[in-house]
Amino acid sequence: MVVPACRDGRAHSVREVGLFPMKIVVCVKQVPDTESEKALRPEDLTLDREAVDAVMNEMDEFAVEEALQLAERTGGEVTVLLMGPEQGADTIRKALSMGADRALHVVDDALRGSDAVATSAVLAAALREVGFDLVLLGCEASDARTSLVPAMLAERLGLPQLTFAQKVETDGTEITVERLTDYGHDVVTARLPALVSVVEKINEPRYPTFKGIMAAKKKPVRTLDLSDLELDATEVGAAGAWSAVDDFTVRPPRAAGELVKDEGEGGRQLVAFLAGRKLV
Amino acid sequence: MSTHPMDTVFVESEEHRALRRAVGDLGRRFGPDYYLTAARTGGRTEELWREAGKLGYLGVNIPREYGGGGSGITELTIVLEELGSVGCPLLMLVVSPAICGSVITRFGTEAQRRRWLPGLADGTRLMAFGITEPDAGSNAHRLTTVARRDGDDWVLTGRKVFVSGVDAADAVLIVGRVADTGGESPQAGRGARLRPALFVVPRDAPGFEYRPIPMELTAPERQFQLFLDEVRLPADALVGDAGAGLGPLFAGLNPERIMAAAFSVGMGRYALRRAVEYARTRQVWDTPIGAHQAVAHPLAQCGIELELARLMTRKAAYLYDAGDDAGAGEAANMAKYAAAEAAVRTVDQAVHTLGGNGLSAEYGVGALLVGSRAARVAPVSREMILNYVAQHTLGLPKSY
Repeated sequence: MVVPACRDGRAHSVREVGLFPMKIVVCVKQVPDTESEKALRPEDLTLDREAVDAVMNEMDEFAVEEALQLAERTGGEVTVLLMGPEQGADTIRKALSMGADRALHVVDDALRGSDAVATSAVLAAALREVGFDLVLLGCEASDARTSLVPAMLAERLGLPQLTFAQKVETDGTEITVERLTDYGHDVVTARLPALVSVVEKINEPRYPTFKGIMAAKKKPVRTLDLSDLELDATEVGAAGAWSAVDDFTVRPPRAAGELVKDEGEGGRQLVAFLAGRKLV
Repeated sequence: MSTHPMDTVFVESEEHRALRRAVGDLGRRFGPDYYLTAARTGGRTEELWREAGKLGYLGVNIPREYGGGGSGITELTIVLEELGSVGCPLLMLVVSPAICGSVITRFGTEAQRRRWLPGLADGTRLMAFGITEPDAGSNAHRLTTVARRDGDDWVLTGRKVFVSGVDAADAVLIVGRVADTGGESPQAGRGARLRPALFVVPRDAPGFEYRPIPMELTAPERQFQLFLDEVRLPADALVGDAGAGLGPLFAGLNPERIMAAAFSVGMGRYALRRAVEYARTRQVWDTPIGAHQAVAHPLAQCGIELELARLMTRKAAYLYDAGDDAGAGEAANMAKYAAAEAAVRTVDQAVHTLGGNGLSAEYGVGALLVGSRAARVAPVSREMILNYVAQHTLGLPKSY
């Protein structure tokens, strides 16, 4: 099934076909390491970032990898965009060491506690500032797991949104993705500029080479705050959030698994179990 | 090589931290099961070696013009330590890029550098290192492997033991001796003054034979004894020139000790992490066993000793990379001693923390016991280091 994406975000394009390299921006988020135990700060119920190791959101690593592959195929260039505190510089550097060309870091104390709505507003403003032909990002972050930002961002920028991509192809003018669905995949095509969110099936992220690691520090990283983006501090952060955390409880211990005893129907039961969780 | 004053021994640069993370991530993808399976089934960790080579991790210390990363032993210790800390160390890093790469970079001819360094840097070529002899140990002045000149060729005869990884290597860097005259004497040997000289011996050279030595080590790299029976080598098999003396040999021995220290620190960190994970989660009565000081304090001591050994290793690497061979020599000896002792103690404590599980094949911690002890013996024994420190550092009289 081919679903044409109807929106045209041409206004943001900085490129005429064939004249300039395709400009790809990857939005990345720094999240607590999924391996470490996370905690909320009692005073404002936001994540205690000091208590955990911070890493690049795993799904965004796939987006960076895809951006690099697309740039290698089309002769484009890759900019990394990160909104987050100072320590986010580590995540930016990781993306640069993988091969991204430059980075934009939006840092502002007022951003603490931003929800998806605010995050999308800040990223949209930053994207307008740098210009792009293609925006890539992971389909969700491993901490909040709302999966809302890609759609909100596309909406704010008036871009066609091609979400849950497991395969991406572009000729520099149009972009076609395989969009993962419960029943298989759709093939979705749009004109650039566009926004694509990716799933982990799409590729295998590379490890940074030693040369990439040594080169990362020399690559340009531009830092912007809210005033650079002409955003009001009251619209973002905890102050501007549309949602708030009232309370939290520790996750209950994992329930016992389901035992399937094979009395002639074991295979069927296993398939039914897996299908019920959309694993097959 | 480190250049910024803050980027020295105490504070790691961003690049160094990024390298640690990247190497650790790669190592975790393979993991201890991969390593142990290779070790127990007679396999090798070739896939990890190849991947690390492609990413430029194996050749970080080799100059850029020969395909390496243009950094130093400091960076190479990071690579080895991090792989070890996730349970899949690559022992041949100590040998191929660290010893052989350093010797050829510093003392090889331009032709030797061009021939060997790019392959050693990206891991497509492997060079082993043979110094120890049955009757001389590692005492370079007592080695009986001797090369004599025959026309332009060298003819090498002797025996070596405990040479790692020969089965996987393209060549072995052999420490032999030549007559002091530069090898001109056709009868170099009895009576003549001999000085150490290093030869690159291809594994398939006629007269070169290698046999595995059965070991109790659980490691994918095997140990060999070598028999060199009139092995004829071209003139350019000699690294540097016959008059170079001890320089080429010492250029290799400091990196070897520093890397051996990094190997032990990595193994110690791995054992400690496994012990801590176990002590945090293993609950017999009301609290995890790690809450009991009889369990916690020895592990805390291991953590301190490993960190101290690691710091000394960094100092030794820093001095070596800064070109201070004499300073690096003392620090490398101390680092190797401290790291081996810390690893022996930590592995022992980890096994004890896990109780019966510590000796089970499933947990893979007991498998480290012999390996940690090996580091107390090789590449230079604890006692030889104590001799060195007693004599050179403390000024005590020579004992032998």
